[in-house]
This record gives sequence, structure tokens and C-alpha cells, in this order.
Amino acid sequence: MAVHESDVCIIGGGITAAMVAEKLATLRPNLSMIVVEAGKSLFDVENRADYRKRSLDYGENQWPGDYVADQSADGIISRTMAVGGSALHWGGVCNRFSEEDTRLKSMYGLAVDWPITWTELEKYYCEAERRLGVSGEPGPLKEDARSEPYPMAPMNMSFNLIQLKAWADKSGTPFWTTPQAKNTVNGYGGRSICLRCNTCEICPTGARYSPDYTFKQLLAAKRIQLHDNTLVRKLDLDERSSRIAVAHAAKQDGTGGTDEYRARIFVLASGYTWSPHLLLLSANSRFPTGLANRSDHVGRYMTGHLAYQTTVDADLKIYPGMNEQHSLISRKYFRCAPNTPYVRHDLRVWENGGGRTPRLRAADGSLLLGDALLDDWRTRTTRGTARVRGYFDVHPDPDSRLTLSPTAKNRWGDPLPVVRHKIDSASEARQAATRIHLEQVFATMATANDGRMGNVSGLSYQDHPAGGCRMGADPATSVVDSHGRAHDHENLFVVGSPTLPTGGCTNGTLTFVALALRSADAIARA
Amino acid sequence: MTRRLLLRWAAALVAAWPLSSIKALALGRSQATVLTSGHLATLRAVADVALPSALTTEERGEAVTQFAEWVANYREGAEIGPGYGSPRLRTTGPPPTATYPAQLAALEAAARAGGAESLAALAAAPRRAIVEALLTTPQRVTQLPARPSGVHVVADFMGHFFHGPVGYNLAYRAAINREDCRGLAGSESAPAPWPARQGGR
Repeated sequence: MAVHESDVCIIGGGITAAMVAEKLATLRPNLSMIVVEAGKSLFDVENRADYRKRSLDYGENQWPGDYVADQSADGIISRTMAVGGSALHWGGVCNRFSEEDTRLKSMYGLAVDWPITWTELEKYYCEAERRLGVSGEPGPLKEDARSEPYPMAPMNMSFNLIQLKAWADKSGTPFWTTPQAKNTVNGYGGRSICLRCNTCEICPTGARYSPDYTFKQLLAAKRIQLHDNTLVRKLDLDERSSRIAVAHAAKQDGTGGTDEYRARIFVLASGYTWSPHLLLLSANSRFPTGLANRSDHVGRYMTGHLAYQTTVDADLKIYPGMNEQHSLISRKYFRCAPNTPYVRHDLRVWENGGGRTPRLRAADGSLLLGDALLDDWRTRTTRGTARVRGYFDVHPDPDSRLTLSPTAKNRWGDPLPVVRHKIDSASEARQAATRIHLEQVFATMATANDGRMGNVSGLSYQDHPAGGCRMGADPATSVVDSHGRAHDHENLFVVGSPTLPTGGCTNGTLTFVALALRSADAIARA
Repeated sequence: MTRRLLLRWAAALVAAWPLSSIKALALGRSQATVLTSGHLATLRAVADVALPSALTTEERGEAVTQFAEWVANYREGAEIGPGYGSPRLRTTGPPPTATYPAQLAALEAAARAGGAESLAALAAAPRRAIVEALLTTPQRVTQLPARPSGVHVVADFMGHFFHGPVGYNLAYRAAINREDCRGLAGSESAPAPWPARQGGR
């Protein structure tokens, strides 16, 4: 068994781990840091163009080997487990939440207030945007005021997006472009400018931020040690205090090796699933329901948001594939006037080629070959399709939970997580009204320009999941404080997505990073 | 010969090539991943009637070459993207190409049954009729798969082309070049007309 000692042990190798490590390396240059990640390091940038091509041609995984076969969970939405985590795949969307998300209780009597002011969070949004390299344009709404400009100018709208914006604006709702962690200038963060490859989930140029770049830079500067293929299975306490003393880990490389990590500070940066999971796995005689769990809140209030979406056939000239992942957003409905039925959501618009693909048989069943097929296809390309979606705000029930499976185990015999989302009764009660509202919004957009709305469908899962170690000022109703420090263990920090009390109504990554950067300040002081 | 007569003629020729022969050939080459020069010649003859006339002979030949490369480079057991929302580990199945040799042979056999030396030796109309008959008998093929699926080599070949970037360029008469890394500059304008050369449809 190998024993590793450091000032800080970061458990997990995703985007929040990368951000915390990078910031600590600046704030405390002499700190020794070890990052422990269960999955592999996928640092072969030179192969990404080939992976992209295989993905386009054959549907193969763009990130081969980005998982651990026996380390999955029932109820998760992404099983990526590798250095870089889910942010290897992400589209780079960097929407902020809004002040309403942090003050739900005081503004609407719903859910809970966050233990952090909007002004404070906004400061860390700016830092997150700088570190990730976000390109964007400020929105027109005064409620979305920013204290700093975006680090980079917005990505220019494609011809398609210009058509879509003109169309969407006719509905009376203002739209602008979605901020993204994609370079619009060469060299920001040492990365290339976007070359509009149309496959952001695997960016072959490095224009889209990916945590592996940060880890490689930190490794090159010898600021961290990175132990990949190493699964932390249990945290143990100091015998005489409630401080975390050691993390027990197992090598995933088939050698059967085990490691011990001893550190002054432990940072749990393993996302919304594996962070509460490790705390529950680490139960002992002093904390029989799991570490950091005197409140019985570890694994509770699992959160995220739901969505309704549709497509609109409209009088638009769209060329599918110009830049499909760049989109429009409106934050108009982030606000909900008090004393009106509560509904909050974002509103997004993308180009879409759905329903306009080539076909082998005409409507009458006759075979289409050569020019006949092309002519048939062209008759369906004279108009365009917009994809429209609204993520809407729902709040977690206490029994929205991550628990340990009674049956599923990994190779080490550890029970695996089961995630079951459950929205609270107030969210449940307004579901029908929320759907009606969004259908009306979609219909207004459709009819504003001779459009025909398709079927409205909903997500079958909560997107951008978070929670499980929610932050709060009261140790009786939360797991960590506003800096992510565990109420029960002074040298344990949980960072990023697990700490969110509620999941907002737009993409969560920027918020996860902003909160993690705020945690880093506290870790640096600890 | 009218179109209806052509189709009847082609159907009779196809019927003359018994299904059992197709099955026997398919069984004998269940792991075929490389198309022979003979197969490629048949595909080029198919391309003349199944792909748009706006393409030059060289461009149709390139479509055949790219399809053959797809077939040759298929990897059984490769990881498939684990997906988002309901992730599960999956791998690619056996090559969907096992039936191709038999299906291509059936095309040639139908041409010979009609007195031609090969499919390529037939004029466009009877050639098209044979292709149409084989996409209807013994199985009525309805889908144009985005990726080859193994239902029928002609549908897979056509799907590979039409769902690809050149297919989209043709349909929209614009150089979208959807799979290229194209840079941001100029993307606010409509793509340039396509094909750029004179004489395109």
C-alpha cells in the first residue's frame, strides 16, 4: 500500500476540481496538491480529429474509454468518469442563474434561499467566465446587469441564427446569443479560436474549454500531482477529532493496488452523484449514517430542472449544419412577478434540420432515386425549422434522493448509488400550468411569422443535475456552509454541483464553477 | 418500353435470381468487410441512376470510394457514445455489410438475365428498373439510413451519400460543408452557391 501526503487532496477530476486546483495554485503557490480521479486521463489531443471523424461516420464514442465499466449509478444522466469529467463532452454553454434563484424563499415563499448574496455570486461568475474563457454579449434586461464585460466578444451569429433571431424577435420576446466557453480570439487560455467544426462535444481544435487543458497546464508547471485510475472508496476520521484524516483508494488498473491519501484538507469535487455517494459509503461508528451527515441531508434534495420543447416549421431559410450548437437565449422569463402564478424558465432557439432529411420513398410510397430523390428533398427545404426549448424551475423534495443500492455493487463490493429525483409538492402542483404557459410561449413564437408548431414534449429526466450536499447556514438543514465546508468536518470541503440547494432554470456548469471558485478562496485561507 | 413494362421486366429478372441464392451468398460472406473491384463496378453502375445527375462521373466514383472506405473501416465491438439522459454502455454490432455481396451479385444477375453483359452495360432506364425491383422484392425497403444499416446495399449506399455533406450541399444548393472546420469568418452570410462549377443543376 502506498501512502501519499499533501496539503490538499482533491477527490475527483472534473471541471470544478480543475478550477479549484488552478486557483489554489495561484493563491497558495507552495501548497502541495494531489488530484485523485477514478477514471483515465484522456490527454491525447492529437487523436481528437480522428475520434471526431469516427463519431461522425460510425457513431463511436468521441471520448473512448471515458468511463469505468463497473462504476455507474441507477438514475444518472451521464456516466463519464475520466479526467475532465462530464465537461469533456459539454457544449460549453455558460448561462448564469439569476438573483431569483438565490432568493426563492424570500421572494416567492418557495423552496429555500441560498446562503449567499447575488452580488457575491456575481463576482464569482465573472471569475468563472475569465477562467473558462467565455465569449458572450450582455443581455438587454437590466436585471442581468454585469459587473464586468465578458472576457471575449460573442461568437458571431451564423446566417441561420440571424434568420432565427429576426423570426424569434417578432414574438415580442427579446433574444440574444448564448454565452459559451469557446474562443472567439486566438490564444485565450492558450487555446485556438473556434473553427466552427459543428461538433462541440468533441472540439478538435481546443476552442471549447475542456478541463484536461487546465490539468495539463498544472502538471506541466508541477503544481499538482494527478493520480488517475484511482478510486477513492472511503474517508476515515482522525481518532481524536472529526477531521478527515485519510482517503482510502483502490487502483483501477487491475493491479489490485491500494493507496492512502493523507492531507490537511480534503476537497470533494466528484459531482452530484459521487460526492454524496462517498460520504454515505464512509459511514462509521461516530457517523453511522455517513460522514457530514448529522443533519441526515447527505443525498437529499437532489435537484435539476425539467424542460418542454418543440419544433416550429417557419418561413425561414435555414442551411442545417452551419453552427448547430450555437443558440439564442431569452432570459425574460427568469423573472416572475410576485403575486402571479409562479413559473420561471429560460427560452432557447436553435437551427434544426428535423423533418427535412432525404427519404427513399415519396409520400405515395413510390421509390425515389437520383434526381427524383433530390427534387423531393428540395421541396422540403424551402422553409426552415427552429427548435425551441424552455428549461423550467422545479424544486426538490427532501426525498429527492441518492441512496446506496441494496444490490448493485462495484468490483470492490461497494454499493453503488441510486438516484431518484422527486419534485416538491408545490412544483408538482404547478406542472400543468407551467406546461400551458410554455405551450403559449411557443405558440406565440410560431404564429408571429407564419409558423407551425410541432408536438410539445417534455424531458424524462432532470437536466444539469445537482444537489445531494446542499449548502446552508443552518447545520440542521444543510450539509455544507456557503463555502462548501462541511458543517461536521472542518477540513472537508464539498465543491460545485452537490452544494446547490435548487437547480435553477438554465444550464448549471457556470454556477457550479463559480461556487467552486468561492470555495477555493476559503480553502486557501483554511 | 414504358416505365410500367420496365418494372415488370425487372421484377421478372429479379425473381429469376432465387432468394435461396442470395441467402447462400450472404451466409458464405457474413463477415465481409472489403468490397471487391467487381462490387465497386456494380456500385458505380448503381450510382449512375441512384445519385443525382448533377454529379460528374468522377464525383459519383468518389461517392463509391467513400462508401467502400466506410465498409472497410467498420469496427465491430467499438464503443458507442454512451449518450445523455439514459446512459448505457453499448458497442457496435457485427458489420452491417454481410448481405452486400449477395445483393450486388443479384443486381448483376438480373442484368445478365435480361441479356446484358453487366448492370453497367444497361441503359439508364432498365438499370433503374432493376435497382427499383431489388429495393422492392423480396423485401420492400423504405428507409434511407443515416448510417449503413444492412437492410440493402443500395439504400445504404444512397443514405451514405445523401446524408453526407455533399448530399446536403446539393439539396440546399449551398456549400454548407457541415462536417468541415470552416472558421467563424463569413458565417453570418449564406453559404456560397454549390456546386460552384458551371452546368450544375
